[in-house]
Amino acid sequence: MSDVTDQDKGPDPAAELAIDDWVLKVDRLGKVFGPQDPAAIADTGPEFGTSKSPTTGSVVAAWDVSFEVAAGEAIGVIGESGSGKSTVMRSIAGDHGSSAGSVYLRRSDGTVEDILTLDGASRRKLRIDQLSVVYQDPSEGLDLGVTAGGNVAERLTAAGWRHFGQIRERASELLSRTEVPLERMDDIVRQFSGGMRQRVQLAKALANRPPVVLFDEPTTGLDASVAAGVLDLIRNLLEELGLAAVVVSHDFSVIEMLTSRCVVMHHGRIVEHGLTDQLLEDPRHPYSQRLVAAART
Amino acid sequence: MNSERVLSVRGLHKQFVLHNIDGRTVEALHGVDLDVFAGEHVALAGSSGAGKSSLLRCIYRTYLPTSGSVTLRVTSGMDVDLTDLGDRELARLRGRELGYVSQFLRAEPRRGALDIVARAGVQRGMDWDDAREAAAIALRKLNIDESLWDVYATVLSGGEKQRVNLAAGTISPPQLLLLDEPVSALDPANREAALDLIADLTEHGVAVLAVFHDLDAMARLATRVVLMSDGQIAQQGPPETVLGQLTGVAR
Repeated sequence: MSDVTDQDKGPDPAAELAIDDWVLKVDRLGKVFGPQDPAAIADTGPEFGTSKSPTTGSVVAAWDVSFEVAAGEAIGVIGESGSGKSTVMRSIAGDHGSSAGSVYLRRSDGTVEDILTLDGASRRKLRIDQLSVVYQDPSEGLDLGVTAGGNVAERLTAAGWRHFGQIRERASELLSRTEVPLERMDDIVRQFSGGMRQRVQLAKALANRPPVVLFDEPTTGLDASVAAGVLDLIRNLLEELGLAAVVVSHDFSVIEMLTSRCVVMHHGRIVEHGLTDQLLEDPRHPYSQRLVAAART
Repeated sequence: MNSERVLSVRGLHKQFVLHNIDGRTVEALHGVDLDVFAGEHVALAGSSGAGKSSLLRCIYRTYLPTSGSVTLRVTSGMDVDLTDLGDRELARLRGRELGYVSQFLRAEPRRGALDIVARAGVQRGMDWDDAREAAAIALRKLNIDESLWDVYATVLSGGEKQRVNLAAGTISPPQLLLLDEPVSALDPANREAALDLIADLTEHGVAVLAVFHDLDAMARLATRVVLMSDGQIAQQGPPETVLGQLTGVAR
């Protein structure tokens, strides 16, 4: 098992100023649904007020999206429904193919590869212990017909764990870390509340200590008090485990609590990037200004 | 006094363009030049709207300056212009090299006061044991009753939260600290304790740039007072000179 908890805490600011320690680097990522005609790029985007090309009919869900994230850091991707933020997440995760660009991952052994070029089998392997996703809908990340412990065990066995006692021990350790009462470990996940399902999903996502975790609206749809608890748990996990995280959300309070930097997406393009507090206090793009104003009322 | 220049602001302008209110522009800063040296406490004075908080926010880059430079000398001795530093690089410099203490404690659900303050120390490179010890000392200095240390900070009173925020902002202080009305919600006794803590920073060579709404705090803490008006520096000098004129005007 690889260990990703080692964070660079070196106090040397000179070394820190030249940062090239990303774990995930998204480089000019693009995803076009429909005809892959370059003409669609030219007549879509914020300045055209649409992501659907009038000439080709294709939807440019994401284009020219670039950002990088290091260990111990979370970057936010914010925007309304249809802005392309979930497309970006699904492209990185490999849930669907991409039309352009690269997504570089630095594995825990230091090797770097463009994960968009991987075949299906290598992709699935990657998702076992290098890159996990926590979905808004727990049924995407969990098998609801299986117990909480069974869901976590599945991820562990995929990584080569064989000893029943050890699997059981690791699963209970993970579930207690994500605040699932151990007496519920052998209950079917379908019987769990929404907040509890998210906690099981977190335990499963973190099972093999992946260096990168993607969060897609992790608290959307939960009651406010439950969401606050899950959010707090995620924040503590990010801090403790030194993960490189990408948090996709339409909710500024989620982005504000979990991330130090973020990008704003609109009609498939990044319209603004910056430190999270700066984007909230001094948004410059007209769309970011509208988003922030809407969140404040 | 150590005379090393920690902060150098040159020609700083900040203009807001309000795209959704007929595209109008608001000028917050019109060319500010300011140096702050180690061990100095520079108080920003002036009426509201003069640009005091905007200046602090532009230095911390909560506001992105429109033009000009904000040069910070980092502990390695290198000069870094914060206005064009990458987001990631700036995120890392914050806290360790420059700090910002506002009048409000940022919401920290399910976290106690001691934990919040100690965590801030850990983020500046202390180990957990030292950070907890330093946090306890700071909370005690600021008269936060020990029975409240592990209570979730969200349920504390406004004055208690403000003191927790000040403790977190000043533990293992960075070399440049920006303070924006850090004692505004405190009663007289607690205000005294907070001002003592801020005075200690100057003693220890921290460069402080601060906004206080009351002249007493400025008179007590400042080594230099900078008077701002209409987004510019109108005047600066020793507190007795500048504040003397200000109170003269008030009369």
